Amino acid sequence: MSGVTTEGDGPTHSPVAAFDDPHLRPYAQHPGRAEAAIGACLFAGVLGFVAYGITYWVGGQTQVEGITLGVGLFGFGFGMAAWGKYLMPKGPFVEERHSIEGTDAEVETLSNAVAERGKAVFHRRGVLGGLLGLGGAAMGVVLAFPVLRSLGPQPKKTLFVTDWKRGAHLVDLNGRRITVNDLEVGGALTVWPQGFVGTSQDQTMLVRASFDDVVTRPGRESWGPQGYLAYSKLCTHAGCPVGLYMEQTQQLLCPCHQSLFDVLGGGTQVFGPAPRPLPQLPLYIDSLGYLRAQAPYDQPVGPGFWERS
Amino acid sequence: MRILPRKVTTNSAPLRAMALPGLVVATVALVGLLTSGAFAGASPHRSAARAADLRAARAAAPITYSLPPSSDLSVGQQLFEANCSSCHGTDAYGTDRAPNLVGVGAATVDFWVSTGRMPLADSTIQPERKPPRFDRRQTLSIANYVASLAPPSPAAPEIPNVNTAGANLADGNTLFVLNCAGCHTVTGAGDALADGYFAPSLHKASKTQVAEAMRTGPGNMPRFGPGTLSDRQTADIVAYVVGTIEHPVNRGGLGLGEIGPVAEGFVALLIGVGGIMLIAFWLGERA
Repeated sequence: MSGVTTEGDGPTHSPVAAFDDPHLRPYAQHPGRAEAAIGACLFAGVLGFVAYGITYWVGGQTQVEGITLGVGLFGFGFGMAAWGKYLMPKGPFVEERHSIEGTDAEVETLSNAVAERGKAVFHRRGVLGGLLGLGGAAMGVVLAFPVLRSLGPQPKKTLFVTDWKRGAHLVDLNGRRITVNDLEVGGALTVWPQGFVGTSQDQTMLVRASFDDVVTRPGRESWGPQGYLAYSKLCTHAGCPVGLYMEQTQQLLCPCHQSLFDVLGGGTQVFGPAPRPLPQLPLYIDSLGYLRAQAPYDQPVGPGFWERS
Repeated sequence: MRILPRKVTTNSAPLRAMALPGLVVATVALVGLLTSGAFAGASPHRSAARAADLRAARAAAPITYSLPPSSDLSVGQQLFEANCSSCHGTDAYGTDRAPNLVGVGAATVDFWVSTGRMPLADSTIQPERKPPRFDRRQTLSIANYVASLAPPSPAAPEIPNVNTAGANLADGNTLFVLNCAGCHTVTGAGDALADGYFAPSLHKASKTQVAEAMRTGPGNMPRFGPGTLSDRQTADIVAYVVGTIEHPVNRGGLGLGEIGPVAEGFVALLIGVGGIMLIAFWLGERA
């Protein structure tokens, strides 16, 4: 029996769809095989997501992450697309212009049939549905990893203090102590307090602007011995490294948003979005000629944060 | 509503129908993987003899500073008076148009002249690299002449000859990232600074020019003297610049001009997503 019973124009009250309607059959000639293939795709997708999650968790490796995420997304997407193509009713369903509106009975019959059919589809494809749900869950969980990781641990006091202490030696990347003879006028060097080489919050730009003492601001009379000036390398805007020392114009430029700081004027902002001057580290030269910090920074370094007063 | 009857056509098996697009995607992925060099990490075998060679090379002086033979002094003086003195003055003490050159040393002069930045037509803008006006011998003669105007001084370095045979590229990379990449970018392509100044590209610099720039700090560039970066460290940076920066290994197969992640992301988006869309359209056409 065919589910299609209308002939000619005008509405009819006959049933329009039935379980054995050929249009409601899956496109695939062998739904069982299609199901197996789609299942394999979805399963591969699940494996890909899980492998991505494991890779990310154990420390990450860009290529492997890319490959596994690619396998996951591709297997998953291909499975869903194939499901839509091969296992859903194939049609075609044609609506003719003069009979746009079906009768209530037709609508009800069709929707009943579709609803029943849909239920049956979902009921029958329990494994695929499960795999789809599993893949979705796996994808959701691993995509949440980066978000969750960014939530902790709490910074506590670390935003307020650096490792610069009174008397700390200035050392370069190799831990070598900087002496008063190391920089020529116009020289620049990234320095850290001894014992804390490579830390991000302690990195400091040391420049030599002159052979003579430099006073950048009232109250900082002793901070720039023999032309050595030290500023926090963290931009007060977004924390980028302010490492671009323009020696002729005596300015420090931040590469991220072009904040410009006046080296001879105590790190005050000349241009750009930075809200505060760069903190200056007071220096002194000890009896052996080593450059050392007179005191810690007098304010938190880097960009603003909620608790910063 | 009407549902038209349709003859049930025989379709190829779904596995076979899915095989072709799947094969295409798999092939593209495989080619991408191979060209990206994910599997090309095989480490070269290094024999004990080679290691010994390397140790010996590292023990040699990384940089020797020297002046060209003084017999070129008169040639240098003639060239200076004909090409430089109109701005820098006949005595090289500078004028209101150009700075004093007495005491700057041979390396400074060699850098500016050998990179074509001097002689300069317009002193109001930052000089750019261009083909040099003078050949190597003439350039060295001018440098020699200018250096002879003042007594030797540590602040006026002679011309560095860099031996990169024993250089450590890993150290060079670290030092480059810390000291140079801020302005010149990690790819050495150069970038804008403030007020119309810019850090130039490093892609054409010679070994000597890189070392000269570091030691003398031309223009807005800071000076990296021997107290800041030792000769060993300087040679490592020079080797990194002329080796890796100027000859980048593009594992993806296409360097995109080394202009950085934004441009690369744009191309990946355009070609990658575009390609995926084409495949999607194709699958849609077949459905």
